[in-house]
Amino acid sequence: MTATSHLTWRRRSSRTLCVLAVAALGLAAVACGDDDDDSAEPGGTGEAPSGDGGEITVAIVGNPQMEDISALTPDLFTAETGIEVNYSVLEEGTLREVVTRDIGGGGEQFDVVMIGMYEAPQFGANGWLTDLTPYAEDDDSYQFDDLIPTVRDGLSVEDALYASPFYAESSFLMYRSDVLEAAGITMPDNPTWDEVAEIARAVDSDDMAGICLRGKPGWGDLGASFTTVLNTFGGTWWSANDDGSVGEAQVDQPEFKEALQFYLDLVNGAGEDDAANASYNECLAQYQDGKVAMWYDATVAAGTLEADDSPVKGKNGYVTAPVKETDASGWLWSWALAIPQNSPDPDTAWQYISWATGPDYIKAAGEEVPGGWAAIPPGTRASTYEIPEYQEAAGAFADATLEAMEAAPIDNPGTTPRPGVPGVQYVGIPEFQDVGNRCTEQFSSVIAGRTNIDAALSACQDIASQVGG
Amino acid sequence: MQVDTVRQEPGAALGTAARHDELRRPWRRRLPLLPALVFTVLLTQIPFLMNIWYSLTDWTIVPPSSRRYIGLDNYGDLPNDQFFRDAAWVTVVMTVSAVLASLVLGTLLAVLLDRKFFGRGVARTLLITPFLIMPVVAGLIWKNQMFSGLYGVVNWVTARVGMDSIEFVSRYPLGSIVVVLVWQWTPFMMLIMLAGLQSQPAEVLEAAKVDGASGFGTFRQLTLPHLRPYMELGTLLGTIYLIQVFDHVAVMTGGGPDSTNIPYFVYQRSIGGGWEFGKASAYSIVVVVASIIVATIALRVLSRLLRGEEIA
Repeated sequence: MTATSHLTWRRRSSRTLCVLAVAALGLAAVACGDDDDDSAEPGGTGEAPSGDGGEITVAIVGNPQMEDISALTPDLFTAETGIEVNYSVLEEGTLREVVTRDIGGGGEQFDVVMIGMYEAPQFGANGWLTDLTPYAEDDDSYQFDDLIPTVRDGLSVEDALYASPFYAESSFLMYRSDVLEAAGITMPDNPTWDEVAEIARAVDSDDMAGICLRGKPGWGDLGASFTTVLNTFGGTWWSANDDGSVGEAQVDQPEFKEALQFYLDLVNGAGEDDAANASYNECLAQYQDGKVAMWYDATVAAGTLEADDSPVKGKNGYVTAPVKETDASGWLWSWALAIPQNSPDPDTAWQYISWATGPDYIKAAGEEVPGGWAAIPPGTRASTYEIPEYQEAAGAFADATLEAMEAAPIDNPGTTPRPGVPGVQYVGIPEFQDVGNRCTEQFSSVIAGRTNIDAALSACQDIASQVGG
Repeated sequence: MQVDTVRQEPGAALGTAARHDELRRPWRRRLPLLPALVFTVLLTQIPFLMNIWYSLTDWTIVPPSSRRYIGLDNYGDLPNDQFFRDAAWVTVVMTVSAVLASLVLGTLLAVLLDRKFFGRGVARTLLITPFLIMPVVAGLIWKNQMFSGLYGVVNWVTARVGMDSIEFVSRYPLGSIVVVLVWQWTPFMMLIMLAGLQSQPAEVLEAAKVDGASGFGTFRQLTLPHLRPYMELGTLLGTIYLIQVFDHVAVMTGGGPDSTNIPYFVYQRSIGGGWEFGKASAYSIVVVVASIIVATIALRVLSRLLRGEEIA
């Protein structure tokens, strides 16, 4: 009797367990399916518009400066114009996917989209974006001529501006002046890569690496840093045909190998820990921790290094991006606002863009944003660098940043012509994103020691050869 | 057609044989389910059919080009694509090793949990927890808190015994991902094995004990054969899920040799930057076909298991 009841109990409990397992499986499936597109929903799900000036939906990338502007919009913009702005804040990769799908596929999800310098001229040339030049010229408060010329060029195709810069950066070399001084080394004002490599090896020790260079796969991570080195070493990803289209892949050329060998030797010989996983954030953390003596990366990093709560505040020097064969090698990047071609109300959209990227917002932001003057969107306008409060807050790096911005070789980054639209740390063709991602995976695995440079170059040549030809 | 049958129902003569009524009753009962059924079919099968159609076209949206029918060319290119072959091999290694390792570990834990001890409920709940964590979170936790060379727990432990720190994720991407998958999927296998163990008739075990069989002998000769269908079920369900692992790859390595599996490759070829929807669709169809084969076997095993239990 007891045996039977025990048996039934066991059986029932086993069934319960089975159900539990299957239910858990279902839960996991929900969890798996959950992270797909939630964040891609437009921000229009909020309350009904209260202003009478209309309503626009804006897709932006989730960086600190953009989060500031979305917080300030109701007071500074909607209160003035009555235009209600719905923000859709997306992570960089998601934004790129959503925007390309939306405007490439002819959707009408957004009135204004934030795109990068890589996309702006390409999308413009595709006819996906509204030409902003007539709006900018007719709008006095926008001060078209105040835009930094290289940035404006990078966002234009044949003098038609397709996106208005909200934020822009170049790259330069940051170094710990106290560390170099202790080692008795002086940093030249315009160093070459060979000099930098020598200094890196000289100051490299067990406690502190010589230099932090990006090694994480991704066309915008390792791909950006490496391509600026490639450019100044005289190499290129592809040759260009006479009409500007993509020619043969050049990854198997000696200049490419020389540049890659130099980069890999430097990062493995005198570079940071876990270099194959390091990009902007990892290098920032290691530099602030005192684990690296130099760092080649975006100019915007200086704002964080010189912030009040930074452990390395006041200990840094800034010089232009190192070169070899060319005169300047710093990259150029911008997050910019554009109006899709099929936008139903481009005038309202321009009103917003004019405010968000105009000189008055930068001044207002300096007073209002929590991070103070050093946290305003940098790099877009010459007038930003004339604001006394900004010069005071950003004195350590403002001049070096402006110099880097103005010197960025946007039209002629290397020693040979480039295919596609202008670009420094990338090639201005749509396929580069994919080729850059897949090739840097190969290069990164050389840094990690899992493969060798020849195998990586040969795989990369195969990948690059699938384009053009 | 089904709808028509039902629609005629009210008008049908009551006088016709009661047999007809018998036949129709099931349909009348199912009628309220039909909208849901049609909805499900529309929602799940139409995108799939479109996917098949896309896989037969040359369709790139960046740079914009028109969609062009190219027959089976996308599939014909597959065997020659070295990167697809690599991704397929990674998928196989990742799935097989993760399923087998979690099955073995799950069985061991299930055997331990099958005995009565104080706090068994708590122990069981704790052991199940990894399965309930979102894959993205699990990947990030392991990457940053366990495997990291600078502040990872694993390297802290190996440093105590005098070993150099190792960048596990960069150096051994596939191994690192498999470890996380095993950590997440062991509880699932454990639950299934536990169900198997607890359905083992007590009198058989008792008889073995009376006959003087050793504990290990009983396990090998009685329990293991009894567990076989449960192991098959666990293996197949695990395979169906692990063949489509994406999150772990995305957050731990972001792709690369030795970590890009087919799902991640499909992502890269489509919205991840390749924008070649035709080719990516073809790749995904291959995964679907492989999954369907595995799933069909899984469903057979499941039905055999349930039938077996009813008879017993």
